[in-house]
Amino acid sequence: MSARNSSFTTLKPCKHLVDYKLKHGLKGYNLIQDSLKCSPYGTSMINKPKSEIPRCSFCSGYNGRFYMCLICSSVTCRVASESNHTLLHSESNDSHEIAVDIERAELYCCVCCDQVYDPEFDKAVVCKKMMGLPENGNGGIEGGEFRLSKRKRLDFGADFDLKSVKRLVLRKKQRSKSCFPLGLRGLNNLGNTCFMNSVLQALIHAPPLRNYFLSDKHNHERCCRKSPADKLCLPCDIDVIFSAVFSGDKSPYSPAKFLYSWWQHSENLASYEQQDAHEFFISVLDGIHEKLGKASLAIKDKEDCQCIAHRVFSGLLRSDLTCTSCGFTSSTYDPCLDISLDLNISTSSSSTDFTSKPNETIPVSTLTGSLDLFTRPEKLGSDQKIYCENCQEKQNALKQMSIKKLPLVLCLHIKRFEHSTIRKMSRKIDRHLQFPFSLDMNPYLSSSIVKKRFGNRIFSFEGDELDVSTEFEVFAVVTHSGMLESGHYVTYLRLTNQWYRCDDAWITEVDEEVVRASQCYLMFYVQKVVCNKGSDDMSCQPVLPLADPFVPIAGYC
Amino acid sequence: MSMLKEDDAFSNSELSSDIFRDILDSIIVDVASESHRIARLGLDRNLDLEEEELRLSAEARARASDPSHSGEANGKYIVDIFGQSHPAIANEIFDCMNCGRSIMAGRFAPHLEKCMGKGRKARLKATRSTTAAQNRYTRGSPLSSQTPYSNSTSTNRSSNGSSAIAGDDYSNGNLEEP
Repeated sequence: MSARNSSFTTLKPCKHLVDYKLKHGLKGYNLIQDSLKCSPYGTSMINKPKSEIPRCSFCSGYNGRFYMCLICSSVTCRVASESNHTLLHSESNDSHEIAVDIERAELYCCVCCDQVYDPEFDKAVVCKKMMGLPENGNGGIEGGEFRLSKRKRLDFGADFDLKSVKRLVLRKKQRSKSCFPLGLRGLNNLGNTCFMNSVLQALIHAPPLRNYFLSDKHNHERCCRKSPADKLCLPCDIDVIFSAVFSGDKSPYSPAKFLYSWWQHSENLASYEQQDAHEFFISVLDGIHEKLGKASLAIKDKEDCQCIAHRVFSGLLRSDLTCTSCGFTSSTYDPCLDISLDLNISTSSSSTDFTSKPNETIPVSTLTGSLDLFTRPEKLGSDQKIYCENCQEKQNALKQMSIKKLPLVLCLHIKRFEHSTIRKMSRKIDRHLQFPFSLDMNPYLSSSIVKKRFGNRIFSFEGDELDVSTEFEVFAVVTHSGMLESGHYVTYLRLTNQWYRCDDAWITEVDEEVVRASQCYLMFYVQKVVCNKGSDDMSCQPVLPLADPFVPIAGYC
Repeated sequence: MSMLKEDDAFSNSELSSDIFRDILDSIIVDVASESHRIARLGLDRNLDLEEEELRLSAEARARASDPSHSGEANGKYIVDIFGQSHPAIANEIFDCMNCGRSIMAGRFAPHLEKCMGKGRKARLKATRSTTAAQNRYTRGSPLSSQTPYSNSTSTNRSSNGSSAIAGDDYSNGNLEEP
């Protein structure tokens, strides 16, 4: 009996199922297993002989839903509530109470008239299905080769552990409520640089990144002294910004030196003009990695890069290609620093209870809808046939993305512009996207996607990471207003449950509904376990170097 | 439950609508069975939270579109949380780290562009001189904006960020262009 079912609520089987199991054990399941038919990527069902149509043993009818008794294999029908021959079967045959829905291979209790669940039955179904699939390379079900090291996720560095940090933070608890959080400082626009300011605000308040720089992990004075010849160091310039922003000085700061350094690093983006915030974000992380990451990171090198940019933002995406003929699945893994999502335009909101017109379904684009879109199985066109190793020829395929490993800080990028190659123009999609403040990424994990592919059966697949934390909280939203050619970026920051609007030099307080109604472009979510809430709120108090717990912070009111 | 009637009593359209109804019923029960499993196994435990978020968002949007609602303070003439007000163009003065001249913050980027010899105008100038053309190739490898670490599925990145706009327009953010 597979014991690791912690993701499922504990099921209490009905009395009839319990009785059946006591009397017959797994015999019936094993017999059913033999008659199961599992399509390569679809559902499992009971095999029906092609020469015969199933008929009800009571009424010889062809209509309705058919259930096969686990004990005598007789098939009975159930047509709504009018004629329930499955019930009749159980009444006329003592203890023939459990049956199987032949269309979906689901257990059914004839007496309770309800679908029931048994992990051992699910295991039989899944095993049958897995046996039918070709031997996968690193395929849909994980082979032994790719193993994720079960490293502790909150591994910032040897001398950084949450417990001691919490102790430090608690000592400073007597903080007047009228104080604004530390680290709130406007950034001067240097001329079309709001794209830079908006992302900088988000980075400054990304808890792991903030903690890294405030714990002096990259001291710009020490670094430059070490290698004066190597003057260009983006992490140093970022360290300078952190010092400035957390100095307590409230007048807006001009990140001029940073701009200068960044232009030297990203020559192709170095110009006085409006730019894309997302492009800037990737460019900055690249700049940090260049300085602090391993010099060469070959694709074959599966060891994760330990530079702060990757430790904070790097996740792992999985792409599955399934042959529609034989079910052979090949998976590839790619690291990512963010996830770019298309707006789900075609959906309509299912919850009409809160709209003023109950009969009207207003199409609402949601972030979860976009994530669903990102992870849905996509039928590749017949012009995109993939060579299947098992079939030894090109076949039609299904592609499905999922998230193998979640980063500490998840950056979600909304693709708000459309290219039309026909008309040779681009346009911006202004459509509002609903996004939650608390986001559970569990449904988008590879383990969940694989589970769904197998019909959500109760089975622990190899590679399931059960202790993964998937709950995220938003802390920064970069919004865009205006047109493609000329627009404006503003960042909303969430600190101690209060939202602040950071519009270049202007920092103001706003209600959360303003943020909900805004046009999000880049959303930054942090793992809930990293961002503490309640009394031990770390979002307003910086982490101090462990050597000096009582260093007073200038400007601390 | 309907039994198959005698052939002559049945019209084709009745038969086809019967079959259609059966197929539809079957599909509906399939969906119900799938949803039943999801609900019973607790795979949709976040449903309430999600609906709450949707509701809050819809309310927020309704209030935002209400003309009587004051909304966020717009414009650059507001006072920030520290009680400060700032001019539209940042007027802090500091020294350019490239040439040493004193520059006003709000005009720093355009200055730096010319100062460093970057940007479209500077590049256009450069193509006209042969020494400059030589320099361009030895200046060092230009980093493509698509690093190996960017999202593999994202295709919307331009290889160079320059656009046709280079004016002194103060408003300042745009999305990528092809």
